[in-house]
Amino acid sequence: MTFTIVHLLPELLGTYGDRGNVEILSWRLAQREIAHEVLTIGVGDSIPTTADLYLLGGGEDDAQIAALEILSEKDTLKNALVNGAHIFAVCAGFQILGTQFPVSGSRMITGLGIIGIETVPAKRRSVGELLSRPTAPISMLTGFENHGGQTRFIDDLEPLGHVVSGIGNGQGSNGDGLVTSQVVATYMHGPAFARNPELADWVLSRKLGALSSITAPVFDQLHDERVAKAE
Amino acid sequence: MKLRIAIWIANAFGAISRITKRGSGVMVTGRILLKLQPNAVSILSRRRRVILVSGTNGKTTTTSLIFSALSVKNRVVSNYTGANLFAGIAAALSKELIAPLAALEVDEMVIPWAIKQSAPEMVVLLNLGRDQLDRLSEVRIVAQKWKDALANLPKQCRILADADDPFVVWAAKDWPNTIWFSSGAIGHLDASTCPSCGAILQWSNDGADYSCRCGFAKPKAVWVLQGEELTGPDNQKVKVVSGIPGRAAISNAARAIAVASYFGISIQDSSVAIAKVSSVDGRFGSLRIGDTDFRLLLSKNPASWRETLATSSSGPERVVLDVNANTQDGKDTSWLWDVDFSPLKDRYVVVTGKRRLDVSARLTVNGIAHHVVADEVAAAKLLGEVKADLIASYTAFYRLAKSVTK
Ligand SMILES: [Zn+2]
Repeated sequence: MTFTIVHLLPELLGTYGDRGNVEILSWRLAQREIAHEVLTIGVGDSIPTTADLYLLGGGEDDAQIAALEILSEKDTLKNALVNGAHIFAVCAGFQILGTQFPVSGSRMITGLGIIGIETVPAKRRSVGELLSRPTAPISMLTGFENHGGQTRFIDDLEPLGHVVSGIGNGQGSNGDGLVTSQVVATYMHGPAFARNPELADWVLSRKLGALSSITAPVFDQLHDERVAKAE
Repeated sequence: MKLRIAIWIANAFGAISRITKRGSGVMVTGRILLKLQPNAVSILSRRRRVILVSGTNGKTTTTSLIFSALSVKNRVVSNYTGANLFAGIAAALSKELIAPLAALEVDEMVIPWAIKQSAPEMVVLLNLGRDQLDRLSEVRIVAQKWKDALANLPKQCRILADADDPFVVWAAKDWPNTIWFSSGAIGHLDASTCPSCGAILQWSNDGADYSCRCGFAKPKAVWVLQGEELTGPDNQKVKVVSGIPGRAAISNAARAIAVASYFGISIQDSSVAIAKVSSVDGRFGSLRIGDTDFRLLLSKNPASWRETLATSSSGPERVVLDVNANTQDGKDTSWLWDVDFSPLKDRYVVVTGKRRLDVSARLTVNGIAHHVVADEVAAAKLLGEVKADLIASYTAFYRLAKSVTK
């Protein structure tokens, strides 16, 4: 069994080093000698619906709309979820999954509607270090956020973390990102998996089951340093 | 207040700042001058032919090379030490009031102000790419600022603009006096969508050409750099020799030759003058720490890191990466993951700076063996008596550049 990761539209959704998340997952799987492949899906490529994990990154407004158009075709992501896939989405990729999101300040765009969230323009852009206490049994989460939207839960959903410092979803929710049975999302880039090795392994283990531990002290050191600086 | 008195007072404060070692005095002079006479730049530009240079990467080097080329025949004032905000521009213009020419490096966001104040005769637009996304805005927004500002140019003003960069083209294409320059740059990290309509931009496989269904496309360049040969209008040709290493330096030298040709300097004379410049503002300068002889290189965003890594690969085997994330560096280090550090394979790599752990994590996944040390002194200790490249981010670079000997 080869674990298949789909890296979606990096030219469009990859403004904040998001390809790092894909490289890190691949590296952590390789360290454990778990057979895997990464399919990088560019503009014009057809998107498989039977992969295990789909990654969506952050992007600028025009790119976010272009990515939405591509992902809307044939309900690709919905079908992948029906097939049991998981999604990890960051920032613009997170917003796209919801019912609507703003571009160019205030123009509202209808999203994929895969999860019950909506994003509205924030008064001020949220830029800076973001620290949250995860709802999952893993270490404190650290990242850097840079987004102009605030995300509100329409459905009864659980955030990925409760914000300790920074903004996250905003709207007075005190949450960042979200967790459902198949979707994990966050406003943290950094990229998130570079700074949060436990998050990377947790996202993998939700699909792969328990994972052996690996020795990679630099990621733990980086995590601890960033958490200590933000606290 | 009369301008001359304002300059005299501002210079006095600048001198005090210099003598008391609080700084070079340039920023103090500029700030006080603008406080005393908010239109100082406008007044000081009146009897001068002003050239403005802006872009994400290469503006300091290009401005310096334009200065060298123009200096063949004329006195020129310039701020090519990287002081490219309001105060730095004002301070540069307050020097040598008799100099008939001014070559000014301008921060991307300061271009609207600089155009209004200085009524330039030429604007040189290099490129626009992702840079310090936490501080500057998204590339598209900067391009829009440029587009709006360029509409206010004096009628006879020329723009020398990069045809290889879709954002620059979009900003400059409506101006009737735009002269396109091409150095055959390959692709663009941020231009996957059309700056004009937002649709997917179609790139040729070699990354040298682009077009969109809305009609937006790469314009035909008047100045073309191929390898080291620059071809200009009327098929005039010159070999570009750069004393500064790297492909970007040759491209910037070619632009400087093109610019100077509109100010009465032959492309041959410019080429000779430019070849003599080997270091600009500490870049590629020599620096000794402990027993190690370093060559100092500046790198500040994904595009410039790619360029610097390529340039450094023909340098010494040992290399130190020195990365901070202070305000001027950009506080977000996510860009590290947009850089492929593979050119460092087979080299002896040492990592330092405040964000050395971020770099170390990146290199680990990139498969680059490396050592992590606390600071440059520890790096030198580890390296011993050898030559090495020291690639530093903005704040580390400017701290070290003070000690550079040519
Ligand atoms: Zn278009």
